[in-house]
Amino acid sequence: MLKRLLILTAALSLALAATAQAQQPPIKIGAILPLTGSGASYGVWMKGGAEMATEEINAAGGIGGRKLEVIYEDHAADASKAVNGMRRLVEVEKIPFTLTSYSAPTLAIQPIGAQNKVVMMNGGGQSDNLANKAYLYNNIPVVSNEVGVLANWLTKEKKFKAVVVIVANDEAGRNSAKTFREKLTADGGRVLAEEQVALDGNDFRAQLAKLKAAGGDLLFISSYGRNVAIIADQARELGITLPIAATSWVLIPEVFKSKGAEGMLVTRLPFKPDSPFARKFKDKYKTDAGFFAVQYYSGTKIFARAAEEAMKKNGGKLDGEGVKNAIESLKAFDTISGKLVFQPNHAAIMDIEVGVLKGGKVEVEKVLKANP
Amino acid sequence: MDLVLQLLATGLVVGSLYALCALGWGLIYGTTLHFHVAHGAVFAVAAYYAYVGQKLLHLPLLAAVAAAVLAAAATGLLIDLLVYQQLEKRGAFRTSIFISSLGLLIALENVLAIVFTPDPMRMDIGGLGTAVIIGPVFLTYLHILTVVLAVAGYGLLAAFLKWSRWGQAIRAVSSSPEMARTVGVNLGKVHLLTYAIGSAISAPAGILVAMDVGAEPFRGTRFVLLASVGVIMGGIGSIPGAMLGGLFLGLLENLGIWKLPSEWQSAISFGVFLVFILVRPRGFFGRTIHSAEI
Repeated sequence: MLKRLLILTAALSLALAATAQAQQPPIKIGAILPLTGSGASYGVWMKGGAEMATEEINAAGGIGGRKLEVIYEDHAADASKAVNGMRRLVEVEKIPFTLTSYSAPTLAIQPIGAQNKVVMMNGGGQSDNLANKAYLYNNIPVVSNEVGVLANWLTKEKKFKAVVVIVANDEAGRNSAKTFREKLTADGGRVLAEEQVALDGNDFRAQLAKLKAAGGDLLFISSYGRNVAIIADQARELGITLPIAATSWVLIPEVFKSKGAEGMLVTRLPFKPDSPFARKFKDKYKTDAGFFAVQYYSGTKIFARAAEEAMKKNGGKLDGEGVKNAIESLKAFDTISGKLVFQPNHAAIMDIEVGVLKGGKVEVEKVLKANP
Repeated sequence: MDLVLQLLATGLVVGSLYALCALGWGLIYGTTLHFHVAHGAVFAVAAYYAYVGQKLLHLPLLAAVAAAVLAAAATGLLIDLLVYQQLEKRGAFRTSIFISSLGLLIALENVLAIVFTPDPMRMDIGGLGTAVIIGPVFLTYLHILTVVLAVAGYGLLAAFLKWSRWGQAIRAVSSSPEMARTVGVNLGKVHLLTYAIGSAISAPAGILVAMDVGAEPFRGTRFVLLASVGVIMGGIGSIPGAMLGGLFLGLLENLGIWKLPSEWQSAISFGVFLVFILVRPRGFFGRTIHSAEI
């Protein structure tokens, strides 16, 4: 009788323990991404990458025994939508951490994050103004590194001298155009004319006609999302035969399909289309993976690593300040694309490749190592 | 010089789109005095009718476009029948009609965005997208078709109003609803006809833009705004005025950036409009706007 009672008690307490374990609340983090609008293609990659990382983390037992749950918010390239999403995540969901994307939306949410001690991990936006901001970490290099390499290659090796520039009228577009102009001038080239266009526009013929009249030997597109494909196609339609150059932002399916973009001179950040990650992504989402899928996969994994460290230090307690301190003390993170080290300016550095876009693939001509 | 010619050509194409939109909106406003901003929704929905016809029902392009124009005409007619006429029966002011029209525009645009996503839906236009080179000017066949259709639309509308019995009825209501009623014209029927024809004449503009750059849910707002500006510039109640006002705005928008940076495009259009309307409140050929008409 006593024995049976003991067994029963043991079984009961085991069951109780199991429920307690199961009832431990999940760790909720945010992800503020371009799920609709002109950059929806990036959103597919970013969300997919974060989802894959979350599934892997949870399959391996979660973070400190707690499940990870990502709450997605759509900013549609609009800073005010990003702010609304961030407020909801901070006030309602009480997140310690969020993934973020795009330059203007990220700059808009950064003060909210800093004030509420919520860590923001940006894997997509590249404006130079994203560096050196409290609670904001960029697991991507800022754009000046990339346009610097591009401008140097275009002037020194490809011998272009006079460039006309079409610029998306937003933080990222303007910042990249400004840095490009500085680097190009320093390397002996010059910008003949510059025209601004709306990021969500779809008729750029008037601006392109002006650039055509300005002459030059190269067209630089300082924009991103699907309007790059439209700009390239409309440029060709207007009889602009100049070679076109752009940064890694343009490596999205819409541009790969565009006839006008064929032969585009581009930079690329490290991405292996034949990696196990890329194959798994394709199996799961039935679409080719891209650089930004890896970025948000890595961003989620970096959070898991930092959160684990923070919980260890603070006796199981998890908050934004702890995550920030963990990132600062760990500094280096192992990712599927190699070791990622946050620089003192809160941004990463990476190898930068330059090459030619042919048939939806980049034929790399040169690689500039981040750590030679 | 090449640049001016190119901007002139692009301006003519954009102006033709504005003109088609202004012809429809101006006909409706001139006849019913409804400030029908939901015309923008009809413009947007016409593009989706054509898209659905071609991509989901697999109709040939021409059949899809024809069906879309008819469906847009029916949409315009139903808006008048189910919303405006009901409001008028209940003795609503013109302001209430304007506000309900605005509500309708926003609601319909958002429904389109929910059903089709805010992303542009592209159509297959085959050889129409091919570039045509005329001296220093580059256009596509679709652009040339746009100008041709605007001129044809204007001609058809003017002829209909002048020579057909129903056209004469519309003109009678437009010049004096009271008088028209006294001589036995059925105002309700004339309004419905005006909405159908006004919608059918603007629908091709929405479809042509969609064929060029894809159908988008929120594009109508800008077009209806420019159409109303074109109509006021041309002179309310004047069909040649609406045509001219639309063309003028398209040309202004494009030629305006010849020497100025392109981000000034909208500022130039609306700035010139303000100056113009202060100097010539009747527009090119029309009657004055009374506050009561809005």
